This record gives sequence, structure tokens and C-alpha cells, in this order.
Amino acid sequence: MNADRLPDLNHLSDELFVPVERKEEQLETIERPSLNNWQDAWIRLKGNKGAVVGLILIILISLMAIIGPSLSGHTYKEQNVAHAKLPPKIPVLEKISWLPFNGKDQDGFDMYKAKNVKEYYWFGTDELGRDLWTRTWYGTRISIYIGILAAAIDLLIGVLYGGISGFYGGKVDDIMQRISEVLMGIPQLIIVILFILVIQPGIMSITLAMVITGWVNMARIVRGQILKLKNQEFVLASRTLGASNARLIVKHLIPNIVGQIVITTMFTVPNAIFTEAFLSFIGLGIRPPEASLGSLVNDGFKSLQTNPYMLIIPSVIISLLILSFNLLADGLRDALDPKMRK
Amino acid sequence: MLRYIIRRIVYMLVTMFVIATVTFFLMKLLPGSPLHNQEKLSPDQQKIILEKYGLNDPLPVQYVRYMGNLVKGDLGVSFQYNNRPVSTMIAERIGPSAVLGFQAVVFGTIVGILLGIIAALKYNTIVDYGATTIAVLGISIPSFVFAGFLQYFLAVKFPIFPVADWGGFKYTVLPSLALSVPVIATVARFMRTELLEILSSDYIMLARAKGVGKRDIILKHALRNALIPIITLLGPMIVNIITGSLVIENIFGIPGLGDQFVRSIMTNDFGMIMGTTLFYSALFIFMVFVVDILYGVIDPRIRLTGGKKS
Amino acid sequence: MENILEVKNLHVSFDTHAGEVQAVRGVNFELKKGETLAIVGESGSGKSVTTKAIMRLIPSSSGSIKEGEILFAGKDLTKLSDSEMDQIRGKEISMIFQDPMTSLNPTMTIGKQIMEPLRKHRKLSKVEAKKKAIDLLHLVGLPQPEARFKQYPHQFSGGQRQRIVIAIALACNPKILIADEPTTALDVTIQAQILELMKDLQQKMETSIIFITHDLGVVANVADRVAVMYGGQIVEIGTVDEIFYDPRHPYTWGLLASMPSMEIDQNEELKAIPGTPPDLLRPPKGDAFALRSEYALKIDFKYEPPVYKVSDTHLVKSWLLHPEAPEVEPPEIVKQRIRLMPGNYKEPLLVKGV
Repeated sequence: MNADRLPDLNHLSDELFVPVERKEEQLETIERPSLNNWQDAWIRLKGNKGAVVGLILIILISLMAIIGPSLSGHTYKEQNVAHAKLPPKIPVLEKISWLPFNGKDQDGFDMYKAKNVKEYYWFGTDELGRDLWTRTWYGTRISIYIGILAAAIDLLIGVLYGGISGFYGGKVDDIMQRISEVLMGIPQLIIVILFILVIQPGIMSITLAMVITGWVNMARIVRGQILKLKNQEFVLASRTLGASNARLIVKHLIPNIVGQIVITTMFTVPNAIFTEAFLSFIGLGIRPPEASLGSLVNDGFKSLQTNPYMLIIPSVIISLLILSFNLLADGLRDALDPKMRK
Repeated sequence: MLRYIIRRIVYMLVTMFVIATVTFFLMKLLPGSPLHNQEKLSPDQQKIILEKYGLNDPLPVQYVRYMGNLVKGDLGVSFQYNNRPVSTMIAERIGPSAVLGFQAVVFGTIVGILLGIIAALKYNTIVDYGATTIAVLGISIPSFVFAGFLQYFLAVKFPIFPVADWGGFKYTVLPSLALSVPVIATVARFMRTELLEILSSDYIMLARAKGVGKRDIILKHALRNALIPIITLLGPMIVNIITGSLVIENIFGIPGLGDQFVRSIMTNDFGMIMGTTLFYSALFIFMVFVVDILYGVIDPRIRLTGGKKS
Repeated sequence: MENILEVKNLHVSFDTHAGEVQAVRGVNFELKKGETLAIVGESGSGKSVTTKAIMRLIPSSSGSIKEGEILFAGKDLTKLSDSEMDQIRGKEISMIFQDPMTSLNPTMTIGKQIMEPLRKHRKLSKVEAKKKAIDLLHLVGLPQPEARFKQYPHQFSGGQRQRIVIAIALACNPKILIADEPTTALDVTIQAQILELMKDLQQKMETSIIFITHDLGVVANVADRVAVMYGGQIVEIGTVDEIFYDPRHPYTWGLLASMPSMEIDQNEELKAIPGTPPDLLRPPKGDAFALRSEYALKIDFKYEPPVYKVSDTHLVKSWLLHPEAPEVEPPEIVKQRIRLMPGNYKEPLLVKGV
């Protein structure tokens, strides 16, 4: 609202009624610096608490996955049966009795004393005496690696397939669409299981199995975006706005496609991590002495009643990992949704 | 409408055909045969068995016979259990899985819808954030993790429910609960998005301009339109339930199809594995088909114009 | 003739990420019984927001009425609760929207949608409501209403859907009908039919209409009075003759000058109004239109203009009517059409209390 309301109308200076030179350029200046797509999205993303939490968690966990194993002084596979089944024990934190890091098991029995162990095993040990801290972070590495690899390959195939299908249209598009519709009708997990049965499980085979039908979703999204772009081009042509505006449109639409691709990828990663964990659970996953979060959870189940920490720790980490990717992906999707731009 | 149905049927058959073929060829690549546990047999006896199952015939012949068998409902034999027919074994075990699956879907869908409605109505408030967080957690925490927690806290530490096994309603509570979590999460998220979009649509504004009260807007206009697309979730939901069951039945010792499937994987009983995967696929594909038809019936835009949404 | 609606000093703002957007900044007008008031202006001028505010259809999560009164039937609509407004919407004041393709619930039969206000406001039974609904459909010119009663919106064309929407709006004989660009999304021929229909129904039912449009041709066709909006304010308001034949605000000149018509000289250029609408996040100081006006005075950038009365019915918000303002000539095209208006005062009169 105008702060200076009407002055006394009878006592206005004459010179106020002088016409103003109007300059053409002034007219086209846009009042507020218009945020380009990315800046606006970034602001909204930052405002989304869930997404921020997710991002921080991802960074933290990834960091631990990288440096964690080297911190403990053990490797992920060295066994020391004498030190088997020790509960977690962390210096300093062990003083806090209600935290589960004091080296005492379910019944309050100090296993370390009983077995005369001087070292601290931060996450405890498993039934073969392997250090769980190292194994857990090593397993995290594997899980993240598989997740990202699967998402990357999905992206490659999906973008190519969807791009070709959408760009060429017509018969090519029709046929390609029929094929992918059929593929979508087959439950992905079934294909994955069948595949792994034929090719023995390992990091590469698991990733490959996931990618066989995984790319279909990405292809669908990319194709959808391209079709949208094509439509807008026609409108553009019919408005005959000229080349410079075409560039503007391209500057806006390409980011949109990239945006959708990023979002879809962000959702693929946790899916892949989950699938791998699931496979491990039914025995088709990473085999020992290798470890992944899924295989660790699987191992942990066997000791649920006696040493729950073996289950809880990898469970918490894998849940956090998947959760943080989902939060970030959700936030990205909300941030890049044009309908939400206020 | 008829055109729509026919198109859906064709898709269903084509997809089933493809997966049956893929399964057949994978089967051929796998080691293992009905001879699996019968090494004690003499070569002659082995030959007789191979003859019986037609395993000495050329590939195309085997393929045709295989397809023919499928049509008749013959899913092959288990290599582990003395060549018992897979279909029989599936029939024996499907009961518990069906019960758990049904309970999970019904419970999960109802809770999910309620959660989604609440979140949408209280958009951008604490209630909304809370509900959406619960939903995100629901799809993030792997089902076996959740099952593990449930088992630990509600059966081991505080023995409210039985830890495992099968015997009555209370044995179904924890496993159904674990199975329903991803259902709740997916339905809630979907419902919230749908409802929010509908509530900001033109026709809702027109209804308000007619003087229709808030309560009626939601019950008579918004909800009906929001619930219709929920049906489309049923397909992926079935997949979720199936994959969940593999794990949940294992953890809770449920004598269901999922448990049997996992066992067959562990023991490399490829006959059983193939037969079961075929069954699961067929179930899923059929479910998708049913959903498509249902959707076409319920949405008047499709019902009355033959499949093209205006 | 008495006023059936009075809007006084209405201010409506929206809360956005970037801050408060002042969409309506002090709007005043009256609506008389049985008349059609057209509100014209470009996108973003605040015309839709004003009418949505009258209907109290602005979600409180997006924006609110910051100030002002809306007087109808002895009540101030800004002070009513939502359920009290529910009694007024659809019954005393109705509204129809621009896009007939999205205005109707796609999964409800049109019959049911028409019966809804009848059953709610008039408490009619199902049978009575159905009969009345069919009568209404006849009235709006929808062919074979009995047969099509149970059909769904997607089975009708755009023009037919708009007729149905009109039928719904007029079902309870409202005193005011607000039409927000009802013909913009329709073909020109259908447009003419719908406008004729509306005029016809208005005569039969004595409804007052607020007609929002950006099309001056439509205004000439239906309006008794016209309000010109810019930047969230009414810059000029008068009878349709006064606005077309004796406009005084540079923005109105701009609108009229950019309108092609058969009468103008072939050699005259159409004048487009240069520039873009103002940013209402930080509304400009002074006259909102000054930046784009070739008649802007220095004072236009300092102080908001006062309102002057050119006749009993013609008000203008511009510094150009101040006694000390220089004499200006409207653009050629507008000048050609100017006629003497008998109701004009000798000198424009300052309206106090603005």
C-alpha cells in the first residue's frame, strides 16, 4: 500500500504536472529478477526439511562408507574365533549405561571380561569373530555401489530408449512402446531371481539382473518429456516468435527433462539397494566373506534372540540409507514441480 | 468398452506367453533335472525317466509340449520332492499366503486411505508432515527389517504375540502387519497427492460456488474421484505382497507359498522355482488385467467412450 | 435503482514464497439490480480475484481479504463464516468459470450436478428437483434434456457444457451471477449463442450480472456499465457509452486503441500497449500504469492519483483530471469515436475520502 497517501490537492507544485520522458527500454525491464528454473528449485529444496535431512544423511553415510573400514584396524574378513559374538563396545559411550555400547550382552553379562578381550569392537563381532564395524561400513560401500551402478545403467538405457522412441515417433515409437508395455507387465523381481539363478550371484550379476527390466520406467519418463517438448515446439512455430525465443524454450525445457531424469534416478537408487538386500535375504545375494547391508541383516536374523545388535545395526543403517534417498528424491520432485511454483 | 476389454486380454496373453518362453529357455540353461536326487539309479533307469519327461527330445518339441502343458495347468515337477507336481505343491501352500496377503491389502488400503485423507485435509500442517513422514518411512524401511523389529519388540521382548508358526488368528497379526506397511505407505502417498490435486481443481471450485458445504465437497465430490485411481495401485501392490511374503513367511515360520519358494531357491530345486515363478507371474499379470477392467468399469469416461480418456 | 451489491475499499493479498502479493488494492464499485457490469482488464489486473473474494472462494492458505467491505442484502460478506457463506453461494450469488471442460465433475451425471443446489438450497425432493432440473436444461437450450439427464460431462461439447454450467448457476434464481470469462474458451459462433442466452435469461430472471472479460467486443454486446481494472485497482468506471465514447484514462485509451474494428481508417496503426503488467509484490509508487503510459506526469510516480467524477456515473482515477494537469489528446483512433456525453459535469469533481 502506498505509504504516502494523497497530499493536499490544492497545494501541489506546478512542476509535478510536467510530463515525463518515457524511454522504451525502461518498459521492458522486468521488475523482479526472475529466478531461473534451477535457482527457484534450489530455494524450494532448501526449504524442504525432509530433503535437507536426507541429503545430510546421505553424505554422512557415504563418508563413513569410505573411511569407516580403515578406522578400526581390522579388515572385513579377518576372523578371530576367540573374539566371536562380542556385543558393541565404544569408549566414552560405554559409560552411558542406557546406550547399547557398553560391551554387555542381553543379560548384562560382560562378554569382554569373560573372554579376556582388551580391544574395543565398536559394533561388536559376528559368530566368526569378524569386526562388525568394518564389515558394516564395507557392506554399506557395496550396497551404495550397487545402487548407484544399477541406477546409472538404468539411466543410460532408459534415456536412449525413451529418447529414440519419443523423438522419432510414428511406427518406431509404436513398436518400442508395445515392447516396453509387455516388459512392464512382468514383475521385475521374478526376472531378477531367474537371472541370478542362471548366473551365479556376485556384484556384477546382481546389478545386471536388476537392469534387465529396470530401465523401462526411465524410458517412459524420458519419452513423456520429449513428447511434451515436441508439442511445445509446434505451438512455438505457430506463434512465429522467432529464433531467440526458441533458444529460451530450449533453455527451459532441457532442464525440465534433466530434472525428471534426476528425480527418477534418485528413486531408482534406494530401490536397487532394497532389491539387493532382498536378494541377500533369500540367499541370492552377496556371499560371505563379502558383505552387503542386506547380507548382514540376513546374518543378523539368525542371532535375533541372542545377539540382537547383529541385526539392529545394519538394519538401522540400511533403513536410514534408503530413507534419506527417498526424502531427497521426494524433495527434488516437489521442488521441480512447476505447479508448485508460487 | 468392448474394444478396451479385448485389448487388455491380448496384452495379458502376450505377456504371459513371453514370460513362459523366457522361463523355458532359462530352465534349459540351469543345471538340475528330475534326476536330481536319483544318482543311485542305473543309466538305463535314468534314461527311462528322461524319456518320461521328454528331456531327450529336440528343443522345439520340448517347447511346444511345455506350452501345451502350461495351458493345461501343468507347471512341471519338483526336483526335490520326488517329482511331485508343482501345481499340487502350490495348491497345498497357497492358503496361508492368501490369508496374509488379503489381510495385509485390506488393512493396508483402509489405513492408507485414511492417512492420505488426513494428510491432504491438513495440508502443510504438523499433521500433514507427520503423516507423510510415516508414509516415507513405510516405503523406506525394508519389510524384513520391519518384520525383525516387530518380532523383536512384540514377540521376544514383550511376548504379546507368538514369535512364529501358524495356528490361528493371532499368528497372522504380526506377519500381516509387516506385509501391510508398504501398502499403507504407497496408498497414503498416492491418496494425498490425488486429493490435493482434486481439491484445487475447477470443478471443486464450482461445487463450492454452488454452496456445497465442506463436508459434502469431500464426501460427495472429492473422495469419489480420488478413490477411483487407487485401483491402479493394486497391480504393483500384489508384487509387493508377493515379494514381501517371501521374506515375512520365512521370518515368522508361516507354511506358505513364499516360504516354499525360498526353500526351493536354497535347495536349487529348479523345477519348483520355475513353476512357482510362472505361477506368480501369471497371478500378477492377471491381477493387472482385472484392475484394468475394473478401472474401465468404474470410470465413466472410459466406460462410455471405449477407452479414450478425453 | 437500488444497489444490490456494494464493494468498498477491497484489499486482497496472497502469501507466496517471495512475500505478499497485493492482487486487489482498494476496489470500490456498486452493482444495481438487473444490470450487467463488465469488468475488463488484462491478466493479473485483479478482476478474477475481486469476484472470487466476493464469493469468498479464496482458500485461506493462499490469501485473504486484508481490508474492505462487501455489502449484500444488508450483510457484510467479508465477516460471514464459511457455513453462512454456503447459504449464499449458489442461492443468492452464483458464479460460472472460464473453462467448461474442467468446470464439471467428470464422474457425476449432469443431472445430479444440477439437482445439487436445488436440493440443498430449495430443499426440493428428488422428484421435484429432477423436474426443475430438466426445465432448466430446456431453458438454457440443451436439446433432449430428459434423455441426456443421466449422461456425463465428457459426453457433451464445450458449448453444451457451458450451458449446463449456466443452468446450474441459475437454478435457484440468484440475485447476482458472476461470470468469469465464460466465453473465452469457446468458438466465436458458440460465444455469440451463449451471450444471447445469458442476456435472455437475465431479462427473464432479473438477475444482475458481473461479467469479467478482456474482450471489448463482448463488453459492447452485453454491458450496461463497465469497470476498467489495472494493477489491482479500478482506474475507470462508467456506462458503456461513456467508456466507449468518452474514455478519460490512458489505459482505457490503450485498450480501445488496440481493438481492431471496421470503422477505423485503414491507414491508422493499431496501438499496442507496450511493457508488461506491474509486479504486485512490490506495487509501484503512485500510478500503477504510469510506466507504460505516454501521458505520464512526474506526479504519477510520486503519489497515487485521486478519483474524479466526470458525470454521475463516470469516475476516473487519474492525475490528468487535476486542474493543473496539462491538456492531453487521446490517440487518434479513440478521438475519432468521441461523442459528447450529456450527463457530464462542466468540470471533473474530486471525490473525497479516497
